[in-house]
Amino acid sequence: MSYKHLGSRNSGAPGWLFQRITGIVLIVAMVGHYILMHYTPSSGHEFASTFERMQNPLWKIFYLTFVVIGLYHGLNGIWGIVRDFKMKRWISVTILGVLIIAGISFATLGFMNVLVF
Amino acid sequence: MKFFQHNWTKVLIAYHRFAGSWAWILHRITGIALTGYIMLHIIALSSLQKHKIDNGKAFNEEMALFSSPFFLFLEWLLFAFVIFHSLNGIRIVLIDFANGARYQKKLHYAVLTIGIIAFLVMGYVIFSHQLNESTAFLFSPTNK
Repeated sequence: MSYKHLGSRNSGAPGWLFQRITGIVLIVAMVGHYILMHYTPSSGHEFASTFERMQNPLWKIFYLTFVVIGLYHGLNGIWGIVRDFKMKRWISVTILGVLIIAGISFATLGFMNVLVF
Repeated sequence: MKFFQHNWTKVLIAYHRFAGSWAWILHRITGIALTGYIMLHIIALSSLQKHKIDNGKAFNEEMALFSSPFFLFLEWLLFAFVIFHSLNGIRIVLIDFANGARYQKKLHYAVLTIGIIAFLVMGYVIFSHQLNESTAFLFSPTNK
């Protein structure tokens, strides 16, 4: 029996693959983040060192990427959980809208935090 | 086994019995919590936006609060969520791409073992700076 026309048109495969890729990127980035924030606390918890780091455009690019990838991974993960439950279409569309709006607004706030330097 | 979907307690008891199902539910719980945390984190760091007016005073005060023992303890708990989600994420990637379904149970116990060790090591890393500061007077005679 063919299931081709019974399911959703969207297979979800790109989201599944991006979830793995962003996850691996986040693990690598998180190791550096923890060294910076906890192994040498002064490099993360004092404004002077933060200010100095933010003068380097590479660090800015790193943090901008970190914000986008982190939010995407988290919100796409929540969307994956939501898709596991059967619900009325308008409810799932509303949840997807809320997730997209949350992603865009928090990414904007994160970008403002970085680009203010 | 009969399976009544309207009886949620029965569903919960019937489902979460195996290593893989515990990993699955914990991965979801930690994932939702970490998504909430990254949002809080971005909100907390928005104090950086005032730095042209107060030269980082608001940020420094906030970080002083976050360096208090209570918040360090919360950050330690946060690390438990992070390390489980990271290690189980590696397990999921191995299951998907490296035939890990054949050894996922072993991987699960490896995740728990490595995770607990990493959690204890991170406890030392987080609190050692505090311990060094609070016990420094014992080792430096000039302070007496």
